[in-house]
Amino acid sequence: MTRGEGLARWFERRAIAVLGVATALVLAVLFYYPVLTVFADAVRLGGAWNFEVAREVLTDPFYFGVFAPLFDGDLTAVSEIAADQPLGLVGFTAYQALLSTIASVALGLPGAYVLARYEFPGRRTIRSLTILPFVLPSIMVAIGFYAFFGANGPVNDLLAALGVGRLSMLGTLEAIVVAHAFYNAPLVTRVTTAAWESVDARMVETARSLGANPWRAFRDVLVPQLLPAVLTGALLTFVFTFMSFPIVLALGGFQLATVEVWVFSLVQQLDYAEAATLAVVETVVSLALTYAYLTYESRQSANSRAANPPPRKRFFPSVSADAGSLIAGLERAAILAYATVAAVVFVGPIASMVVESVTGPNGLTLQYYRFLVQRQVEGASFQTLPGVAVRNSLLFGAATLLVALPMGVTVSVLTARGGRWERLADTAAMAPLAVSGVVVGLGMLRGLVFGVELFGHRVQVDGPVAIVAAHAVAAYPFVVRNVSPLLGGVDRSVVESARALGATRVRALLDVELPLVAAGVAAGAAFAFAISIGEFDSTVILATGSSSYTMPVAVERYIGNRTLGPATAMGTVLLAVTSLSFVVIDRLGGRWEV
Amino acid sequence: MERRTFLKHGTAATLVGLAGCTGGDEQGTTTGSDTTTADETTTEGSETTTEATDETTTDETTTEQDLSGTLTVATYSSFVDAPSSSPGPWLKEAFEERHPDVTVEWATPDNEMNYYLQRAQQGVDIEADMFVGVNVDHLIRIDDELGDRQLFEPGASPLDNYGHVKEDLKFDPQQRAIPYDTGYISLVYDGNEADDPETFDALTTDEYAGDLIVQNARTAATGRAFLLWTIHNQGEENYLDYWEQLVDNDVTILGSWDDAYTAWENGEAPMVVSYSTDQVYANRYDQDLSKHQVGFLDGEGYANPEGMAKFADSDNDDLVAAFMDFVLSAEAQGEIAVRNVQFPATDWADLPAEFEEYAQVPDQPVTFTYEELKGNVDEWVDQWARQIVGGS
Repeated sequence: MTRGEGLARWFERRAIAVLGVATALVLAVLFYYPVLTVFADAVRLGGAWNFEVAREVLTDPFYFGVFAPLFDGDLTAVSEIAADQPLGLVGFTAYQALLSTIASVALGLPGAYVLARYEFPGRRTIRSLTILPFVLPSIMVAIGFYAFFGANGPVNDLLAALGVGRLSMLGTLEAIVVAHAFYNAPLVTRVTTAAWESVDARMVETARSLGANPWRAFRDVLVPQLLPAVLTGALLTFVFTFMSFPIVLALGGFQLATVEVWVFSLVQQLDYAEAATLAVVETVVSLALTYAYLTYESRQSANSRAANPPPRKRFFPSVSADAGSLIAGLERAAILAYATVAAVVFVGPIASMVVESVTGPNGLTLQYYRFLVQRQVEGASFQTLPGVAVRNSLLFGAATLLVALPMGVTVSVLTARGGRWERLADTAAMAPLAVSGVVVGLGMLRGLVFGVELFGHRVQVDGPVAIVAAHAVAAYPFVVRNVSPLLGGVDRSVVESARALGATRVRALLDVELPLVAAGVAAGAAFAFAISIGEFDSTVILATGSSSYTMPVAVERYIGNRTLGPATAMGTVLLAVTSLSFVVIDRLGGRWEV
Repeated sequence: MERRTFLKHGTAATLVGLAGCTGGDEQGTTTGSDTTTADETTTEGSETTTEATDETTTDETTTEQDLSGTLTVATYSSFVDAPSSSPGPWLKEAFEERHPDVTVEWATPDNEMNYYLQRAQQGVDIEADMFVGVNVDHLIRIDDELGDRQLFEPGASPLDNYGHVKEDLKFDPQQRAIPYDTGYISLVYDGNEADDPETFDALTTDEYAGDLIVQNARTAATGRAFLLWTIHNQGEENYLDYWEQLVDNDVTILGSWDDAYTAWENGEAPMVVSYSTDQVYANRYDQDLSKHQVGFLDGEGYANPEGMAKFADSDNDDLVAAFMDFVLSAEAQGEIAVRNVQFPATDWADLPAEFEEYAQVPDQPVTFTYEELKGNVDEWVDQWARQIVGGS
């Protein structure tokens, strides 16, 4: 054996451990260190411990409603506050997140059913494009929503024509909930589709052959296999909408402010102590839910199975087939109804964005695209060039995918078969999703961009490598959440026989386990790419003073005084580039899928 | 008005007043308001000695010097990057044309002023020489956060053109921030959908129920200006009651000017808080002017001047002064006004007829001074925010 082969074997044996250490290092530098320096502001003042601000926040009814007197140990005030502001800012934020989660699951689940169970032309492309809304900058979504659902939009025109009367979406909670569903229902769909494509149909058949009717087979056999994925989607949706911020202010308005809106304005005023306290509260709520969910998940995955989905039904059956069945006909009608709703919620606003990009004050125009071309050709180096933004986004997206996949799979493997400690580690690994984006940005600015004094040198972390690492940190939890539930369901005996035959742990993982959970890995990869493309908070901060800006950053910078045209054109470019990328990623991933 | 033609020649004159002679090797002699300097310019650690040449312009004798080196100017990103209307690229090009050995570099960190304030808080050095886009809120925040430590230093005395800055726009008692433009916050309304409300009180009546979109005073400059305007008009004791009536009358408070203007353009409501220069844009983009009517309330408009200031850490005194003087020159004042669509801060700007015709000035511009805001503004805004959010 040559030395090179020896090294390779050494690495193969320890690959999981090495990757685990590398993941921990990246997390420590790009996430835990910057975030903890900000969280420390909640209880540190001028180098000494100080719990005054934290106490004030926790006992303030404005934030905690009826909980504030409970935290204060003063129960006499409860009834008065209950009448005045029962929920408080935190309670209201949780309430709108709950509504948004319900709406997202209601809208996302049927989509998963259709995509997983039916075969129709364009199915794979639609599946690839489901997470598109996820990457759209909030200003684009706001523009799309106003154009489509707004006072003069096609929806209201139709309602007026039907004699229902016009609806005003401006400043309503409904507008926020629908916008949140626009962002997050696709997430529910994508996660659940991956699980549905990995179910073991033989178990359903067994149940049926043992006399169970279709409904019981569905409830007792299929639902337990799908529920973890559905709850994962619901959990992620809740966590995201709990910390929602720009879209709330763009559509709902300040009266419907969330905690994150408050954190943002406190940070703007450099009021770090109060902002950090609120951010810690957000994180505690999100992580507590995550832990509760993981406890549930670990109980579910005990039953092992193999991915063996039932064959897809054809949506357009040949005439001779089951065309006469009443139930099948009703199901098709329901699916068409659902498709209409999905078209209104998703296609409507997106199409409106595109229309806005070619609509000037006096009708159709290409002037905004001409601006992009002109800026690319003539723009100065200190300006934002569209081509550079596209190139950066694609490079960072691909690099993020390559970094986040191993990170996520490693964490999944290390925390699989979770006892309590693994669950805690898994929860901690989810933290990047559970920390306020504003706080992560502030931590990165102070801790990484400004640099740290080490051995007499100021060490700074910024530029492209830092951006990719930051994107990977934000993205890998999606890989974990897509892969873990499926990995937990893989039959252990298969892996053990591979190991008994001399395969290293990583070889068994690559050759045996991952192919079995390929649908989850592919979904995780698509999410990783999407997160990188859509990420804004840390990108703008780490790109300071360099030309490492991405497409969403360009969209923001092209917002002109009184003209959103160039921004919508850039947003449409983002839409096109991202759509194409998703299709390509899915096709590449598809070769590997079973 | 006297035009100083020397600005059109290759180099700009730099008048170095006494306070400006802090650059170490410089020496200057002052005669009345006219200054003759024969000096060395220190840039980036390397010394460049330039010969002074005399040139007589109009009634004053100035010594021109060839400046050299790199001037890093920090600003907000739309000043250099927004489509069609950013004055930044023009300023760089025109200034470098006058000073071939000078390079102007723009720095546009995402956190804008807070970026530099946070650097100063953390004890990290500032890599820029000056900031363009300082307002009175920034100054108060800087003074509250840094105390006696200075982020900016007074920069008016070496400036030749400072005398042209309008007196009522000078918003910094310490003369760190030199005003270069101003906007007047007003209402912009669709004349086909609503009449000019004309008074603050009218906004709380049934006729205008649900008609007004404003911005969040905590995060948007226009929203903050509008809130301050209501405090100025209604009084410190009454503004919260006034806002309660506005909320009862279904006012919408969106996050940023973009959010609000997008909603307004889509016809969600007929009135929005914006700038009194709105018709300049509308006319430029051939929009229907009847949809872009400017309304001043009680004859007032809230003035929001913007200034530029030199970072105290910068040693580039001469370059900063030359650039500031250039920004205050008649030509640049006209260009900035047109490109930024704001009013010039000086009395001598070359404004095109388009601007004179469509940019509207309130009968009574109002604003709070630095002294009036200091110690009050945070409390005013916080109470407002808690009332708005807590009341929902």
